Amino acid sequence: MDATDQAGAVFGALSDPTRRRLLAAIAGRPTATATELASELPISRQAVIKHLSALADAGLLDRRRTGREVHYRVTPAPLSDAVSWMAEVGGQWDDRLAALKKGLQP
Amino acid sequence: MTDRIERELELPSPSDEVWEALTDPERLAGWLADEVSFDLRPGGDASFRDGDTVRRGWVEEVSPPDRPAGVGRLAFWWASDDEPASRVELTLEPAPGGTRLRVVESRPLELLDAIGSPLFGSGSAWPGPQARSRALVASR
Repeated sequence: MDATDQAGAVFGALSDPTRRRLLAAIAGRPTATATELASELPISRQAVIKHLSALADAGLLDRRRTGREVHYRVTPAPLSDAVSWMAEVGGQWDDRLAALKKGLQP
Repeated sequence: MTDRIERELELPSPSDEVWEALTDPERLAGWLADEVSFDLRPGGDASFRDGDTVRRGWVEEVSPPDRPAGVGRLAFWWASDDEPASRVELTLEPAPGGTRLRVVESRPLELLDAIGSPLFGSGSAWPGPQARSRALVASR
């Protein structure tokens, strides 16, 4: 995956508020399981698993299976410098261009 | 290595109106940054303040949308403190129902290395006229 694809995958994974919430919840502890997260948040275990897979596929979470449970942890440095630059700068332009478009609406 | 992002969007306004939104400091304050000052000629100074972030930079190209093609381009360089400079290129062209705007922001790290110090936007370290013209030549 090159830097642009990685940035796209990260954006896609973070575009969903539930996934951002899950990521924040996992970031606050060493590891978490889908069962734990589902018991704390108003989301079904099945939905939690789906969101965690999306975050893991984007490289934002590591998965480790222990017995019957998969433990997730936040990847220490999922983004290279180039990718974090693109994520930041791209996000800034998205905001700016939305404001420009709004200002130009007839 | 060049880091690069690209965005494209269609705007429901004619290209000369979009050009005004890209170049008039008062209009720019509505979307690009809180406060923008541009000396709109190649080599001219530019500064951008957005909240607590101040970027300094300079203008590389100013080509208003010409008639009848209606294609225009504004290119400038900017950097905030301690960040390598990056180049912003805004290109306009007519599209059905308005104008297509393409934004490319790139950070040509090797070019910046080749130009040598100063690479950064902080204080007096911003490139003087000589480094600017070297960057102009090198970016072509």
